[in-house]
Parts: sequence; C-alpha cells; structure tokens
Amino acid sequence: MEELKEEEEEELVVVRNDDGDDKVRILVVDDSPLDRKVVDMLLKRSDGLFEVISADSGMKAMQVLGFNEEKSDFPSAKEQKIDIILTDYCMPEMTGYDLLKAVKEHDCPRSIPVVIMSSENDPQRIKRCLAVGAEDFFLKPLKVQDAQKLRQYARLTGPTPKTGTKRKLSVDMMSETESSARRPRLAGVAVA
Amino acid sequence: MASAALNEQLASLVDSMYQEGLLDEQFQQLQSLQDESNPCFVMEVVTLFCDDAERIFTELDRIMSQPVIEFQQVDSYIHQLKGSSSSVGAQNVKLACVQFRHSLEENDSEGCLRALNMVKREYLHLRGKLETMLQLEQRIQAYDKQKK
Repeated sequence: MEELKEEEEEELVVVRNDDGDDKVRILVVDDSPLDRKVVDMLLKRSDGLFEVISADSGMKAMQVLGFNEEKSDFPSAKEQKIDIILTDYCMPEMTGYDLLKAVKEHDCPRSIPVVIMSSENDPQRIKRCLAVGAEDFFLKPLKVQDAQKLRQYARLTGPTPKTGTKRKLSVDMMSETESSARRPRLAGVAVA
Repeated sequence: MASAALNEQLASLVDSMYQEGLLDEQFQQLQSLQDESNPCFVMEVVTLFCDDAERIFTELDRIMSQPVIEFQQVDSYIHQLKGSSSSVGAQNVKLACVQFRHSLEENDSEGCLRALNMVKREYLHLRGKLETMLQLEQRIQAYDKQKK
C-alpha cells in the first residue's frame, strides 16, 4: 500500500467513482422551496463539487433513496448513487430526524452520511440527531464553510477503488479546524 | 439614465437597507451567489420569500380572527416566516418574528395581534424597498444588454 507522505501541503486522496468524476451527489431535503433554492445554489457554486438532487419531503427522499417500495418517478437509489444527504429537521409528516433514523436503519454495513440542518439552535435537538448517527448539525442559513464540510463527510459510493486513480485537493478545500470538523472518510487509498 | 448612475443609485439603496437593518450578511451571500449564468437568482429568491410571507399572513389573519386562537398553529407559521426571512437576510422581519414568538409564550391574544401587525409592517417596508431594488437591477440589466 502506498504510504501517504507528509508534505508541506496536506493531501486528500480522492478515489474516483465509477462514472469517473469527483462530484459529490448530494440529496437535499427541505419542504421550503426558498431554502432548497438557496442551498442548491450555494452547493452548485462550491467549485463544481456537488451534483444536487432535491426532494421536498422526507417521503420523496425515501423514494429517491429506493427505500420506498412504491412506484417512484425517481430512478432507484443505485442509479442515483447518493453520496450524502442534507436534510432539514422540521418537515411535515416525516421530519429530518425520522429520515435520519430510516437511513441509519436501512443501509448496512455502510450507511449514507446524513447532515441535519435547522433554523433552531436547540441543544436537545442537536444531541438527539448526533446520537442517532448524524454526521453534523448545521444552523440555517448555510454558509460556504458548511459546503466544504459536506464534501468531507461524503463518501464516494461504488465498488472497490481502482488502482492508480488519485488526485490532490489543495488545502483550501479542507475545512478550518473546528471541533465539529472531521477528517474525510476515504473509500480506500489508491495503490500504485 | 446611464448605467453608472443606475448602479450608483442601486448601491446607495442597498447600502441604506443594510444601515437600516432591513438586510443582513445573508443577503450579501445571496448577492455573491448570483452571476452571469444565474442573473436572476436574487430576484427569484426574493419572489419566493414574498410569496411565502404573504401566504403565511393570509393564514395568520384567518387563525387570529377565530373566536379561539390556535396558538400552536400561529407559532408554526411564525416559525416558517422566521426561517424564510433568515434565509433571505430579512433581518428586521426575522427579529419581529422572534418578538412575536415571545408574545405567543404568554398566550396573549392582544399582544399577538400587536406583534403580528409589527411583523407585517416590517415586511411591507422591506418589500417596498426590495421592489425598487429589483426594478433598478432590471433596468441595469436591460441597459447592459442593449449596449452589447
């Protein structure tokens, strides 16, 4: 296995997915059209890192993910290959918390990372979500730094990484050191 | 009117809106997201906000006119309006919503009516300025398009 050498500039090894691109496929779930539009633009303007799929409810999100056995207008989860879910907490019928639980209960051994967003800075709510396995909890409105964190939380879905396919991301794409920031989880380390 | 003069007028208007507390840094973020490939982004977001706000006011008027006020429903709608005003950078509207939620905690009908009127006032004041701002932007865009 190739050792990661220490360099002056930190190196993030990214394994390309089956389609050969590095874009993170993010499912944004929010019942507010305004918030969906703002988040969509924020993510799309983040150096082209994201491919955004939107859903206006938890139930629609379940269809996109293929968790719902009902017929869906959306392609199945395997075709969509969602790398990360960003969901609002407060939604009618199925909340973001309900969706989070459904995702964590559904996918084994590797579940899709879920980040919750909310306009309420409620410590109980935050604790509850993190306890069930949310990667993070963002306060709305989202900032540019939040988009960078999402990139790190995402995992590229697909089969075992191919050899010899890696690229470097510059250090400015890494989030600033904060208590809630985490190291990116790699699908695998490319080998020569 | 020359494009430069229009731009100056627009900058002055937006600056005064920030000074007055009508807008906060979130609106600046929205402006930074707009570019040549999405020239109408801010207008689209503002339109969504106004549609949302007016839908909520219609519902609130209906609820508040009932003999028995469902304060939980009122809270839910004000929560929505607070969220959308925060997303668009409508600072004073957001603050008025926060004040409204404090009144709700006391289940005070008169207090809630006063708070609702305050939220509406802030919204209408902001909407007027946003309309002027968007009209200026459209004139600038039309002028620039003509020049090309």
